Amino acid sequence: MPSTVFPPPGMTQSRAVSSRRRRYGPLLPMLPGMVFLFVMSIYPMFYSLYTSLWRWNLANPGNIRFGGWHNYNLILTDPSFWNGVGITFKFVLISVSVELILGMAIALLFFHRFPGDRFLRAIMILPMVVAPVVLGLLSRYMLNVQFGIVTFITESLGLGRIDFLGDPDLALATLIVIDVWQWTPFMFLILLAALQGVPEDIIEAAKVDGARSGRIFFDHILHLIRYPIAVAVALRLIDAFRVYDIIFMTTRGGPIDATQTLSWQIYDAGFKSLDIGYAAAYSWLMLIMVVLTVTLALKLLLGKGA
Amino acid sequence: MAMTTDTPHRHILSRTNRAAVKTWTRGMAALIVSLVFFAPIYWMILTAFKSGNAAFSETPSLFVRPSLENFRLVFVQNDFGAALSTSLFVTTVSTLLCLAVGASIAYPLARVKMRGERHIAFWILSLRIIPPVATIIPLFLMLRSVGLTGSIWSLVLVYTYMNLPLTVWLLRGFFADLPKEIEEAALVDGASRMRAFFTITLPLTVPGLIATGLLCFIFAWNEFLFANILTGANTRTAPVGLTEYVTPVSVEWNKIMAAGTLVVLPVWIGALSVQRYLVRGLTLGAVK
Repeated sequence: MPSTVFPPPGMTQSRAVSSRRRRYGPLLPMLPGMVFLFVMSIYPMFYSLYTSLWRWNLANPGNIRFGGWHNYNLILTDPSFWNGVGITFKFVLISVSVELILGMAIALLFFHRFPGDRFLRAIMILPMVVAPVVLGLLSRYMLNVQFGIVTFITESLGLGRIDFLGDPDLALATLIVIDVWQWTPFMFLILLAALQGVPEDIIEAAKVDGARSGRIFFDHILHLIRYPIAVAVALRLIDAFRVYDIIFMTTRGGPIDATQTLSWQIYDAGFKSLDIGYAAAYSWLMLIMVVLTVTLALKLLLGKGA
Repeated sequence: MAMTTDTPHRHILSRTNRAAVKTWTRGMAALIVSLVFFAPIYWMILTAFKSGNAAFSETPSLFVRPSLENFRLVFVQNDFGAALSTSLFVTTVSTLLCLAVGASIAYPLARVKMRGERHIAFWILSLRIIPPVATIIPLFLMLRSVGLTGSIWSLVLVYTYMNLPLTVWLLRGFFADLPKEIEEAALVDGASRMRAFFTITLPLTVPGLIATGLLCFIFAWNEFLFANILTGANTRTAPVGLTEYVTPVSVEWNKIMAAGTLVVLPVWIGALSVQRYLVRGLTLGAVK
């Protein structure tokens, strides 16, 4: 941000003003937008930091008391919080790793042109743009134990009827499969674009020397595209932590507590128990976890220089 | 051993053959993969066109005689048209706002020398990392105190905010891509910076603006968490409207699939039309 400009000696006041206008005039259009961003982000952040220090339930507005670390203590000693942390990390880490590996495999498949590749790529875009709400409902329909198509398939394979969303041992895995279905195309598109940016001679070397092509891929090509990989992984991590819509439409945190992710628990505390102090403290703990995970992932992928 | 009998001609033939076989296998593998990703969508669209109880049949059929009955019911019985038009309004207005505000931040960031430019840009980007569920309660209370909850304008504001980091970063890239000399020529001719922006820069970045706008549109169109909490009974968006087909008594699958198809198809067409910019958009300009 600009510091106060003092007129240099010998410069008159009016010239200083006009030079200031020339310097900061072009920045003026930024002002309304920056104010808007501030109001919509900084204010809620501080407000939530503030509420997190109070015992504050909207259902009991007459009884708001300062709690200090009370909410944080309550959360950190609650086994259901740690259960939620475990579930969230399982969901996020497994989904994103599977998406990265599958996305890379499919990108390598599409790397060399073949007839119809553009058409197939257009189809591959489809899962990403399906509204998560629609996808949640579609999963419920397809996995329905009575008439779902997946049940029909498992029965014809002799596996019997499997309640993928209703079985506590399978529900989280099912949500991971749904996430992988929706977001592998995202990895695929980014990695394909990244591979297409790799210099021709390295690709040629890999092609000519068939025996060493695998090593060239792991030693050189992966290194060259580490930046796009890191961006894709970071974005996927951020979004995977948010998972909410799909859970709202399918398991609602259940069966029992098998799919109680952190974002679901925050929603529960804030909008069902109306305990906004508790929910605010929860949000801060979650934000710290997201930031740490993303930073760690970037460090791992880009090396120490990141 | 066979080397000695190989004529050059036969050698070339076998090599092209091998290449053709390779391309063919790759194509088939890619086709199978794409079908896996397409199958659930196909099933949704197919169910949307099934009539009556076919959706609940225990022996599913892969092809049906298409009926538009479900689509008719979705509009006549459930007034899904109102939800779709609310969605269209909120999404369009917030997208246009986002482009206007985004461009007015992105252009100085791309063109004007300023102190701390990188810090401002990264601060805007960092807003993307905050989980919406963490800000929704303070935002809800803030919007309630100004009497905006239940109104579609609260959603317009939230979606504009939600898409601004993406918009600023993308537009900054598109503006920076434009050679400076083109604008400078106009400035030398005596045009003001403002005029140079509107008559030269903006028209030349229209493809970038459209691509950015369509991405904003898609994200706002699909959003559910804020829409579910900030809208009232008369201001439901399409994703919120969809949840009403699920009642404790029954779930109307045919209608859900018909309504779902109506929600998905427009954004797919939108995404396909900006395919060239999709990777750039999805990575906030990091991968071109």
